[in-house]
Amino acid sequence: MNPTQDCGRRIEDLSDYLDTGASPDAWHIENCPQCQARLAGLRSLSAAALDLMDSDVASADDAGWLDGMLANLRLETRAGRPIPLSGGPLDELTETEGAVIAMVRAVGDSLGGVLIGRCRLEGEVSTAGAPVEVRINVSARYGHPLPALADELRVAVIQELLLETELNVAAVHVAFTDIRPPLPAPPGSAGDGTREEGR
Amino acid sequence: MKNPQDLPQTGPDIPDAILAERAGDGDVAAFETLARRHGPLMRAYARRLARSYEEADDVVQEALITAWRDIGSLQDGAAVKAWLMKIVGHRAVDTGRRRKVHDNLEDRPEAPDHTPGPAQSAVAGSARRALNAALARLPEEQRRCWVLREFGGQSYEEIAGTLGISAASVRGRLARARTTLVIEMEEWR
Repeated sequence: MNPTQDCGRRIEDLSDYLDTGASPDAWHIENCPQCQARLAGLRSLSAAALDLMDSDVASADDAGWLDGMLANLRLETRAGRPIPLSGGPLDELTETEGAVIAMVRAVGDSLGGVLIGRCRLEGEVSTAGAPVEVRINVSARYGHPLPALADELRVAVIQELLLETELNVAAVHVAFTDIRPPLPAPPGSAGDGTREEGR
Repeated sequence: MKNPQDLPQTGPDIPDAILAERAGDGDVAAFETLARRHGPLMRAYARRLARSYEEADDVVQEALITAWRDIGSLQDGAAVKAWLMKIVGHRAVDTGRRRKVHDNLEDRPEAPDHTPGPAQSAVAGSARRALNAALARLPEEQRRCWVLREFGGQSYEEIAGTLGISAASVRGRLARARTTLVIEMEEWR
């Protein structure tokens, strides 16, 4: 293998090898000085690219630049389907699915230890009295026993929906889709992890 | 803009997936947390793809509008960062296309142009500085492919879709870009 002679491998082949760590031509690549030199060049290019991106990101984050953009968005809340409420004889009252889902989020978040992710109302919510099932994705803080947490959440959601809506809630399904590590205990306090069962 | 149902707490701790799901359900604060978490990367990326800082900020603004509109249909919330970057990439390329039509310029595919890119002074490290300079000398088509791949993390097929060219062209352009960049960085060393 003469390094002064072009081995004919293309940069694409070497990039693929670098990306995947494998190549049908791996034996040659691993033993050819020319390929090894070009691989070293590609590796330092990747390293410089990461470095450049980090410095770009740091210099792109000047104070307050996003505030104006977020203010310009005028984020509207999502209405979803209308949910009927019984009003007086001349009224046709409804609340929106979006508002009910927001309510479910607020109830869950207020419990502590859980954060609500996606929430879906399944069933004909626009038909008064039709059975509706609630499906909630939940992120729990590690250390809270999950079955008890799920029960607490179910009860709280059903109570709130009974109070604030006329939905016929047939079931509340809770799925723990994420567990977050315990909060570091603030100095001098018992911290959040005290609900964890002792060993 | 604060609503009672908004996030009770913000922090580095809340995973993207939960934030994306909440944002998809209409939680404004969750969307803002995502925007603040990934905004600097989106902006840095847009600056590498756009012609000027101003154009880059327009791209980010439009990308955020699109993201808020469509985040409810995002299936995998954990992939929200890549999804946001993809929107930025599309927006930036569209904006460039519109600018070209508007300027009524001939498309000179392989002619180097001199996009300023982030200010030289901001790029301190030496290998980094060499790459920054070499990138600015690349023909725009090659630079775009390279930035979409290296900064945007897009696959060849995704880049092909974004640019409206074949995956084989993407491979070719990337190879030419990498060859030039490696050589220029070696010369600098």
